[in-house]
Parts: sequence; structure tokens; C-alpha cells
Amino acid sequence: MSEAQKKVKVHVDKVNKSYGDNHVLRDISLDIAENEVVVMIGPSGSGKSTFLRMLNQLETQDDGTIVVDGFDISDKKTDINKVRENIGMVFQNFNLFNNYTVLENIMLAPVELGKLDKVAAEKKARELLDTVGLADKADVSVNSLSGGQKQRIAIARALAMSPDIMLFDEPTSALDPEMVGDVLEVMKNLADSGMTMIIVTHEMGFAKQVADRVVFFESGKIQESGAPEQVFNAPKNARLQEFLSKVMHA
Amino acid sequence: MTMLKKCLLGLATFAAFFTFVSTSQASEPHYTITTDATYAPFTFQDKNNNYVGIEQDMMQAIAKREGFTYTMKPMSFNSAAQLVSNGQADGIIAGMSITPERKEVYDFATPYYKTGVAWIVKKNSTIKQLADLKGKTVALKTGTAASEYGKSLQSKYGFNVKYFNDTDTMYNDVAVGNSAATFEDMPVIQYAIKNGMKLKIMNADNPSNAGWYGFAVQKGKNKALLAAFNKGFAAIKADGTYNKITAKYLGASQATFSGSKKDNSTVLGILTANKAAFLKGLWQTVQLTVIAIVLASIWGTLLGVMGVSELKWVRGVSTTIIYIFRGLPLMVLAFFIYIGLPGVTGVKIPAFTAGIITLILNEGAYTGAFVRGGFEAVERGQMEAARSLGLNYNSAMRKVIMPQGLRIMVPSFINQFIITLKDTSILSAIGLLELTQTGTLIVARNSQGFRVWAIVAVIYLIVITLLTWLSNWVEKKIK
Repeated sequence: MSEAQKKVKVHVDKVNKSYGDNHVLRDISLDIAENEVVVMIGPSGSGKSTFLRMLNQLETQDDGTIVVDGFDISDKKTDINKVRENIGMVFQNFNLFNNYTVLENIMLAPVELGKLDKVAAEKKARELLDTVGLADKADVSVNSLSGGQKQRIAIARALAMSPDIMLFDEPTSALDPEMVGDVLEVMKNLADSGMTMIIVTHEMGFAKQVADRVVFFESGKIQESGAPEQVFNAPKNARLQEFLSKVMHA
Repeated sequence: MTMLKKCLLGLATFAAFFTFVSTSQASEPHYTITTDATYAPFTFQDKNNNYVGIEQDMMQAIAKREGFTYTMKPMSFNSAAQLVSNGQADGIIAGMSITPERKEVYDFATPYYKTGVAWIVKKNSTIKQLADLKGKTVALKTGTAASEYGKSLQSKYGFNVKYFNDTDTMYNDVAVGNSAATFEDMPVIQYAIKNGMKLKIMNADNPSNAGWYGFAVQKGKNKALLAAFNKGFAAIKADGTYNKITAKYLGASQATFSGSKKDNSTVLGILTANKAAFLKGLWQTVQLTVIAIVLASIWGTLLGVMGVSELKWVRGVSTTIIYIFRGLPLMVLAFFIYIGLPGVTGVKIPAFTAGIITLILNEGAYTGAFVRGGFEAVERGQMEAARSLGLNYNSAMRKVIMPQGLRIMVPSFINQFIITLKDTSILSAIGLLELTQTGTLIVARNSQGFRVWAIVAVIYLIVITLLTWLSNWVEKKIK
């Protein structure tokens, strides 16, 4: 199937964002197709996280258009809550709800939003826990978990709403090295299942292995994007070359 | 069946009681009279905690003759006077000197006692004349004619002035040497000295600014009450009742009214003799505290929730309310609600209600501030995670932020409860007979400041300890 035939899931057109004098995103345009896995790389402060958080409107743009699933979420009249139900998000710091158990964390949104009744939500939560390999942790308090476990629970929580887009904001950056593998494993399985994924990460190996497309952000602009082999093995942009030489030798 | 009968009987009694009360009110006019119960021999509390004195006996005799009833409300002289001038109460009998300024605001009845201002020092003081007061401190009682007179001498003799709200604290300040002198109405100080107050009158034969005490009503109002008082006063003067009353108080020694030496010279004696008064005062304090804690917590939580609203104007309302009521001293707020507002609105507010409203507004503002702070202290990521799942702002607050925020706030709530309990003491200023005011009245009678205030302090500590235990128990249950 050629790129043109695939359905466009995310359409971003000329988006800008400034914090005071700091112009963090400059005229960003990007289309992401259904089932595509896009990995965004770049130095810190390059704007990639801000861009990711705009895709579910945790950050708002100053101007430009963002269309997700056919909804123009840059339009204030759009019911953003409805669109968000379809976009899962995983955070660097997990952000599990401290006042609930693992199971309750996963069940909260489907039940509160009337998507599933309690029985169905619990059944689904247990299935998801099984998928991420933490079935035995259902009833524990989230504070007793390790970072890697927390992040896998966070992924399960996001999946409980059956989204068809998943956003990952540096999901492994806060983890001890030995925990990273488990989380990446879960993400890889998710990618293999056909989930549309947009990932901000510093895990270059993972990007090479899983990404359909790698996007390089620098100074609030997309400097280069393409298939992983091209971006990593034959980078054209001088800043990308410099960035890669730093991260690859680190 | 018997239960039903009992209920019906109770209901009938209740109904009968109300019918009785309403008919008795309908047949006789009923007035609210204010007084200052720290003003022996005119008005004070006796050992049985009844309000007695020349003024009280006079008022009773006159009311009986003229066929009206009244509720006597003791409070600080200043509040007592203001309550009448703004129409919250009908009349005042509190050793009020008739002055031209006061005649602008009040209508006075026939004067009932001739008085003049004495200047007073400690019994063994070296001060000989007013000129010796230069650079020293003089104690005065807020709002009295004697204090006006004392103040008028301030620039001439170069002394400093310190104000008190009740007579007894003022006397004691001079007796212990904190202040060098005071000015007070002659009969009042004479009575106090006769009953053991270690003070000395410097102008016994030559009272300054001689004048009269008068019963007063708000200017142009309560003409019937004024007429009844005048008629009754003329009658008790003519038949000798008035002379009997003054003789009774001016000739009596302290023990007659304040109890024996044994009752007053030990903590246990004071406690036993005033058990009923202390319990009543404590009960009032507990009532104020419990009602205020519950209502202020509800109001404060609401303010806190409004303070984190998604809508800017709702946050603005919350911030403004918190800013105003946290900024106002509790006593100013109490005076404003109890004395200030009714003067404008014409709606009388009972002191207890005014006290509760004051506490709700003040404690509620503090509660609102820490509730808002507690919600804001919950990690930002918690909100973002909830919103990213599709929950709207209100659901996210309710399900995720508030439960975590409330847990953070528990110690602040306990702290606020204890502050509320202590703050009820400030409401003694508007005449609420809670624990502190109870202590004031007892000291005014027996002059045992150290022992009485020690008792009051210990009672507060006991209640605060109980409150802390209760709160900690609740805290454990929550966690």
C-alpha cells in the first residue's frame, strides 16, 4: 500500500508556539498516517515535547491547524475531551493516580466516561495487566511499584480507553537502565499490533528498530525526516549529523 | 402505643409553651436593655452569677411597677452604648454619664445617681499631684465619661494613655503598678476600695466634672420605655425603695455579693463557687466552636474549590472573598456585623448568630486559602494524566485532584479547628457569655485575676487537648 492511499490520522499545518520571546515551534507542518510509528528525536529544548503535547492539546498553539481523526482540535469549539478519549498518552513521570490502586487507575476513565460498566472495565483492566506482564499487581498501591512497572501500568491505563493513537513523551527517560527493556518491549508489541504511535525518545536503537519514520527537531523546526535507515545512516542536515555524533558516542 | 402518646404529649406541651410565651409577650411590652457587668456597685455579677447592683435592682423595681419585661444583656460599656445608639437594643443602664455630646445621640431619662470623676493611684504610690504623672501611663476605660475627662488632661500633664475594656482589668493594672493612675466615677471606685482594691483616691472631697448617671434610649425612639422608666423611677424614689437599694449596695461588704474569703482565696474554692458559671461559659464556647468548625469548613472548602475553578471569574470571586475576610481582624468583623450592619439595614442580629457569622467568614477564609493551596500542591502531572484520558476538568478535580489534596490538608484543618476554638474568646467583645467573658465577670466580682485566669487557661487547654485527640483519631481513620 502506498503512503497516499493510507488514511491520514494526524494533520498539522503551520503551527507556531512562543513562550514570551522564546519561539519554541516555528511553522511546523507534519502528516501522520494510520498505523504509522513516528519517532521524534532532537536535543532538549528543541520543541519536540511541546509539539507532542499539542497533539492532545495539553499545550495550545499560537496559530496553525491541528486535525486529529478528522477533528480540528486547534478550533476552540471542538469538544477536546471527546477527541482525547481516542488519544492515549504516556508521560515521562508516569503520573499514575496516587489515590487509587493499579486496577482502579486503569478502570477510572472507562467507567467515569461511561465507555464501559464496572464489570467490563475490570475485565479489560485485568487483560491489559496481563498484556503488560503485571497481572499480579492489580490490587497494590501504585506507590509500591518500581519505575518500569509504573510505566507499563501507565501504558495499560492509556490503552483502557481503546485509543487508536498513542503519544509517548520520553517514556523511558525516568527509568533505571535495567527497567527500560520491559517498557520498550511493551511498546514494540503495541507497534506490531498496528497502533498509530508518536514517540519522543532518546532511545536511538529502539527508534531504528520500530520507527516507520524518524523526525529530527532542532530550534523549533523539523530539520530532517525520513525512514530510520536514511536518518541514522545518511543524515543530510548538518545539525542532525552533529546531534547523532553526540548521542551515538555518548 | 406509649411511644406515640409520649410524643403527642411532648408536642402538646411544646405547643402550650409557645402559646404561653407568645401571649405573655403580647400582653406586656418586652425590651432589650444593655449594661456593663463589671461596674460594681451599679451592675455586677454576684456569687450566684446573677446580675445585681443598684441599676439592676432599680430596673427590676421599675419594670414590675410599670408592667414591662426585659432581657438584660451585659457586655463592654462601649458595645452596650453602640448597640442602643444604632437600634439593636432598646435601652442602656450602665453608669452612663449624661453629657452634651451623648444627648445628641440618646434621650436620657431622669438622672438616677450623682457622680463625679475621681483620680486614683496605687495605695502606697508616691504620686502627690497630677503633675507627677508626667511621662507616666494612665489607664482609662474605653468610651466612658471619666476617660474623656482623663484624656482632656493628657496634654496639660504630659502622661501616656492606655485603654481597657472593663473596669476591673483597668484597676488591676494600676494596683500592680503597670499604670500610674486612672480616672473613674467616684461611687464606683469608692465601692471597689471599700472591698479591698488596693487603690487610693486623690480627690475624694473634690470630684471633678460632677455630673449624673442616666438611663438612655436611642434619640427619638422608645418613648414608651423612657416614660415608663421616668414614672417608675419617681415612684421608687418617693416610696423609699430607691434609698433602700442604694443603702443595700453602698453599705455592704464584698463578701455579701462575692462570697466568703474561703470561696475566693483558693483555686478550688473559686472553681466550686463558680461551677455553674464556668460550665455555662464552657458550653457556649463549645457550641460556638463546633458550629463554626462545621460551617467554616464547608464554606472554606467551597471557597477553595472555587479558587481552582476553570473559570477565571469564579477564581476571582474566591480570591477576593479570601483577601477581604483574611485581612480583617476578627474583632473588627464581629463589631461590623453585630453593631455596624444593623445600623444600616435595621435588621437585628442576635449576638450568637453574629458571632457564628463572624467565625464562618474569618475561619472560612483561612480554610479556603489552605484548601486552594492543597489542591494546587497536587502534582501537575496528575491533572494532565486525567485530562489526557478524556476526563473534563470537573471530573479530573473530583476524582483525582481533590481526594489527594484533601489528604494533604488534614493537618491544616486540625490546626484551623484549634485556632477557631481560641478565636471564640474574641467574641466576648460583643457580649457573648463564653468562657473568656465568664472569667472577666468573675474577676470583676472577686478581684482574683491570677486564679480565675489560670482556671480559664487550663479549661481551654483541656478542650484543645480533647479536640486534638479527636482530630488525630479522625485523621487516622481517613488514612
